[in-house]
Amino acid sequence: MRSPFAYTPRPAPLQSASPGAAVVYLGALTVVAFVYSNPLVLAATGLALVLAGRLAGAQRAVRAALWMGLTLALLIVVVNALVVSRGETVLARLGEWPLFGQVNITAEAIAAGAVFGLRAAVVMVAFAIYSACVDPDRVLRALRPLAGRSALTATLVSRLVPVAAADAGRLRDAARLRGPGAAPVGRAPLARRLLAGSLDRAVDVAATLELRGYSLDAPPHRFAAGSRGLGRGRSFAQRSRYDRRFYAVGAVVLAAAIAGEALGADAFHAYPVVEVGAGSATLALSVLLLLSGLAPLRRKPRRATRPVPSAAEPSRA
Amino acid sequence: MPDLATSTKAAPALAIEGLTYAYPHAAQPALRDLSLGLAPGEFALLAGRSASGKSTLLRAACGLVPHFHGGEIEGRIEVAGLDAIASGPGELAAAVGYVAQDPETQVVSTTVAAEIELPLELRGDPPSSRARAVEEVALALAIPHLLDRAVDTLSGGELQRVALAAALVTRPRLILLDEPTSQLDPVAGDELIWLLRRLNEEWGVTVLLAEHRLERCLAAADRVIAMTSGAITFDGQPRDFLTWAQDADAALETPAARLFSLTGIEPLPVGVRDARRTLTATEANPRPPKKLSEEGVRLPSNTAVDVRGLWVELSRDDGWRDVLRGIDLKVESGERVALMGRNGAGKSTLLKAAAGLLDPVRGKIEAPNGIALLTQNPSDYLVRERVGDELPGDQGSAALRVVGLEDAVDADPRDLSGGERQRLALAIALAGRMEGDALTGLVALDEPTRGMDRARKDDLVELIGELAGRGAGVLVATHDVEFAAAFAERVVLLGDGVVIADGPATEILSGGWYFATEVARVLDLPGVITPEQGAEALSATGDD
Repeated sequence: MRSPFAYTPRPAPLQSASPGAAVVYLGALTVVAFVYSNPLVLAATGLALVLAGRLAGAQRAVRAALWMGLTLALLIVVVNALVVSRGETVLARLGEWPLFGQVNITAEAIAAGAVFGLRAAVVMVAFAIYSACVDPDRVLRALRPLAGRSALTATLVSRLVPVAAADAGRLRDAARLRGPGAAPVGRAPLARRLLAGSLDRAVDVAATLELRGYSLDAPPHRFAAGSRGLGRGRSFAQRSRYDRRFYAVGAVVLAAAIAGEALGADAFHAYPVVEVGAGSATLALSVLLLLSGLAPLRRKPRRATRPVPSAAEPSRA
Repeated sequence: MPDLATSTKAAPALAIEGLTYAYPHAAQPALRDLSLGLAPGEFALLAGRSASGKSTLLRAACGLVPHFHGGEIEGRIEVAGLDAIASGPGELAAAVGYVAQDPETQVVSTTVAAEIELPLELRGDPPSSRARAVEEVALALAIPHLLDRAVDTLSGGELQRVALAAALVTRPRLILLDEPTSQLDPVAGDELIWLLRRLNEEWGVTVLLAEHRLERCLAAADRVIAMTSGAITFDGQPRDFLTWAQDADAALETPAARLFSLTGIEPLPVGVRDARRTLTATEANPRPPKKLSEEGVRLPSNTAVDVRGLWVELSRDDGWRDVLRGIDLKVESGERVALMGRNGAGKSTLLKAAAGLLDPVRGKIEAPNGIALLTQNPSDYLVRERVGDELPGDQGSAALRVVGLEDAVDADPRDLSGGERQRLALAIALAGRMEGDALTGLVALDEPTRGMDRARKDDLVELIGELAGRGAGVLVATHDVEFAAAFAERVVLLGDGVVIADGPATEILSGGWYFATEVARVLDLPGVITPEQGAEALSATGDD
């Protein structure tokens, strides 16, 4: 079974876009999630990413990231509530706990934890969409002229990780299939075996790279920017017609985030009492962020305006 | 980087002189004083038992030996005029393509198109010519529909074609293939061989193909090179090879050639069409064996496994899919059953579900005495450095006795041969499932003959017979029809998750095109699948 975060080629705008455009778009939303603490803005960013993921066909990745992110968020809320006793609205006094000392559960600590958790969930969704929609080959090839050896290492690792995961699955199956009279397999022998197998695999993959000519010196014209590539949007060098849209949306999101900071759109204080700003700047930024989630929308092709002759009609020669 | 254009087109595709090579720390050389020349446009088949040096020769021809593996080398290798010892594999990539046995480790990119394009990109070809080359090679190999797929969603057969496309995209003069059909079903295997023949004829690519299942590719080859212990022991026409193999190494004979040698008919045939022509010319009129109907009748015995209405769903790229759809299958103790079907038909899934590795969505599996399953990679079972540590105690000793490894208790599993490692893995799966020396449950093997030569297959047939003789029901998933004919008394054919045929091996393996033995295709007689049965039918010529 494939990981929901594995890259899946699809003829959707986000997958067709060049890695730079996709990174600018997703990166802008991630920056907002890191910089802002206002729950409205964070929720809008999260919804925009969920929408973008859905439009890009990465629902599985988004669902998995939401599941992991919200679980993590819940954990953060619980830990923050137990560790931080600040805040005026005490919901429960739990007395002295070993290690924790006096534990007071406050609404403010819960709210602060929820904001941290929401931020973590939003960032995880952004990375999940990146992983499922941005072709790692194109990213690595774009990096190769800048750092050849690092790109080679990354190529090996990116290939070996799924292979090692498959090997680990097979080894686990084989361990379960051992007869009751065979020596049981502990984690250490299994890990040793996986490591040894991975080294063999690495040698095979390295041999393949060698045969493909990876060790050759790169000819200078190879990575010419903007050169036309394969006809179906496959070559790393090919630009997509959606690139400008993603660059523009990313730039607008970043500019709006900067302007929002200046205009107080990030108004939020957890302590001593929770204050959530919901002024016009916050609402406007939230709406803009929500709309940015439509960037991967693919417009339906326009219908032909000229009537098409039916089969029954004789065509005019 | 040497320029291929400077090497003349008239130069041999491959020229080897006095090549001797030993891997690092090896006691014996893997290649011994080997000389070989391949003219442009030749289709040569490399035959030989396991460990005879075939893979090493192919690796030397593409530059991996000695550049990647190290070791000591003497002699000269030229590929399309380039010195393969002086140049590395990367420099040779324009002149030679290499496809190894395991397609999974031959892909390095995420998508098919990127994988095929990679060698051209690394060579510095401009994007427009890369686009054209990728499109053309995809069309030639009938994989344009795969170009936008992620490589980890492809089947073994599809992946093998992608690896071949990546090797061919630079339009090399020479293509080297190391058992490319070992993981393919008969349909995909035949398609691949004829695809190579077409590329050889239309593109003029020289092909050097190492293969164990010679009956599959002998008819496509112009020339056969046989190797023994690192040296060439035969080099000539396919028909002459069969005559040579008759005396020198019977394990290299094809089933049709064996049929002809048993009946004394000459010349030995290089393929089914050739055999039929000869039989027509000799006016042979074979008759089916008389006691055919009694074959496969068994006395009632205990049930080893009973599968009823089994449905299994697996997640694929495009969502959940029913891989098994209402399977009913019963295997009795002592019964030897071959489970066959094309790649993706559900054979491995059925075995895994029976062994409890997969949960069915519906249906029942009853195995009163347990199931010992040996999966496709026996090495996965071997995690310790001493055989005795894998199988301690009396139960371990009993399991080792069953597979004939009782004397290897102190050996390191890594020092065992491929066949011995497979037996050890089987012993690990069997340990504790025996009652004294008797086996009462089901023993299931998944594709156990991958990469095996005929001699090792014969050993496995013997072992399966022994397991069944001890009371085990034996269920073997296999693509190898000749192997199935040798061990099975019953064949179950799966197609797209359902049982499409279930009957005596003699009936199932003689009634089709792809899932039929070579002898069955030659004689086209119901119930005749092995050379011995064919010889009996031919000796009955004229008897009424």
